[in-house]
Amino acid sequence: MAITRENVEYIANLARLDPKGEGFDKIAEDMQGIVSMVDQLQELELGDITDVIDTERKNAMREDVPIPSYDKEEILANAPSVECGGVSVPRVVE
Amino acid sequence: MELYQKTAAELSAMLKNKEISSAELTKAAFARTAAVEDEVGAYITLTEEKALADAAAIDAKIAAGEELSPLAGVPISVKDNICTKGIRTTCASKMLENFKPPYDATVMDKLYAAGLIMTGKTNLDEFAMGSSCENSALQKTRNPHNLDHVTGGSSGGAAASVAAGEVSIAVGSDTGGSIRQPASFCGVVGMKPTYGTVSRYGLIAFASSLDQIGPFGRCVADAAMLADVLRGYDKMDSTSYPRAYDSLTAGMCADVKGMKIGLPKEYFGEGISEEVSKAVLAAAETYRQLGAEVVEISLPLAKYALPVYYILSSAEASSNLARFDGVKYGYRAESFDGIIDLYVKSRSEGFGPEVQRRIMLGTYVLSSGYYDAYYKKARAAQRAIRADYAKAFEQVDVILTPVAPTTAYKAGEKTSDPLQMYMGDICTVSVNIAGLPAMVQPCGFDSNQLPIGMQLIGPRFGEQKLVNAGLAFEQASGLCNIVAR
Repeated sequence: MAITRENVEYIANLARLDPKGEGFDKIAEDMQGIVSMVDQLQELELGDITDVIDTERKNAMREDVPIPSYDKEEILANAPSVECGGVSVPRVVE
Repeated sequence: MELYQKTAAELSAMLKNKEISSAELTKAAFARTAAVEDEVGAYITLTEEKALADAAAIDAKIAAGEELSPLAGVPISVKDNICTKGIRTTCASKMLENFKPPYDATVMDKLYAAGLIMTGKTNLDEFAMGSSCENSALQKTRNPHNLDHVTGGSSGGAAASVAAGEVSIAVGSDTGGSIRQPASFCGVVGMKPTYGTVSRYGLIAFASSLDQIGPFGRCVADAAMLADVLRGYDKMDSTSYPRAYDSLTAGMCADVKGMKIGLPKEYFGEGISEEVSKAVLAAAETYRQLGAEVVEISLPLAKYALPVYYILSSAEASSNLARFDGVKYGYRAESFDGIIDLYVKSRSEGFGPEVQRRIMLGTYVLSSGYYDAYYKKARAAQRAIRADYAKAFEQVDVILTPVAPTTAYKAGEKTSDPLQMYMGDICTVSVNIAGLPAMVQPCGFDSNQLPIGMQLIGPRFGEQKLVNAGLAFEQASGLCNIVAR
């Protein structure tokens, strides 16, 4: 499939990236090369094999037992911006 | 022979016989590191103070006559995508340059409980995405055998630390060959265990269904001893397999008489250098002479492994790396206009080009309109590749292949063309797609005296077969404990 400038802009927005800094054309060119490589897969005929859920596996559950939480101060020590004991971000609600 | 030239198995015996203390050993490891690290650059962070304190504590336990694990007191390096409480864990990314995890990964708990001495955190391709270690945003690592050449990747720092004699054993992680290919390039032993045997709790996720932590060592016994420490069920990892494991070390037996070894014809054709093919086929001949039966087999879907891998791993990476948004931890851009801009700027400035490429590819193959053609098709192909291997293992005990198309190439040779770099993963990615165990060890040298590796692939939970076949070749060839510089 051909990768257009519009594709790249659309994907970048979904991924919350802005690759303009590196040069949009270079990104599109690299993406085109990679997509052409993965396109090889389209020629593969798989017959009956589909992406159905693996029936031999089951979800791993564990007992719901309370355990101590991490220390709040320790967790917040890695946050880029902290206010009043919480992580702070720019205003979200107008 | 200097201490840094000894295998972990030898050091373990010396500690047991009280010929040396853990403190002496640890000091020697840091002295060796000081001598070679400027050139090799294996580490992002060294933890000397903690290591010396830990070694003193182990020595006290030895003096008190406590029963300790065989590797107690032996220095070890840890890849910098494994969480270490209070110790910087960067993933070689600007995004996590100052991140200090509030907890230890389960494998760290296991290493500490077994008395191993962590020397520091080793370099990698950013978020383990890469095959040369050149995608690290923080550090340059060089191949100890020739400083102009790459170490391979992503666990390049781990492989280099073992090859340069800084440590005898290391912990790495492998999503598409990230333990095996650098082990091959650096002339050491590396094992990617069966998916689900080693806990991923605290391993910073790249592609969760493919990632697996595993050991590096100077010889097969080193890798087996360390695998014994790492393996085991962990309730904190829901993909951890609930079973017990027999000791690989106790089960070691260098006998391959009657063992059936498969050579998949698809792995010896176009794209694989003649020197590499020749060395691996010579290893097959050694196995014949040792009494193994070597047979040609076919893995017809081998050529589709690369597209399947890049679709699945990038899809998972794009989801896993969504958590890095500049809010709770990690890099935050200095200036931004609103919350969306904070996300976009923090991610665009914090992630390097290769990580952004993979997130973009993953987002693309998961996006509406493309999901069926790429992601769904790749998942179906994954099932077919698994079936291919299952059929092969009805005929043979283990499969012998090259690890990479070439030996270690020169730094900078492939950095401008991501696709060229991806092609280097052709021999390793299918093992992760199928969730199988595989082990890499040296099998020769090329005309530039750079190591050539071979890969043994086993059936699910077939690590003992790999260890035994590897040990038989190692003893027959004498190719082990290769310390460079």
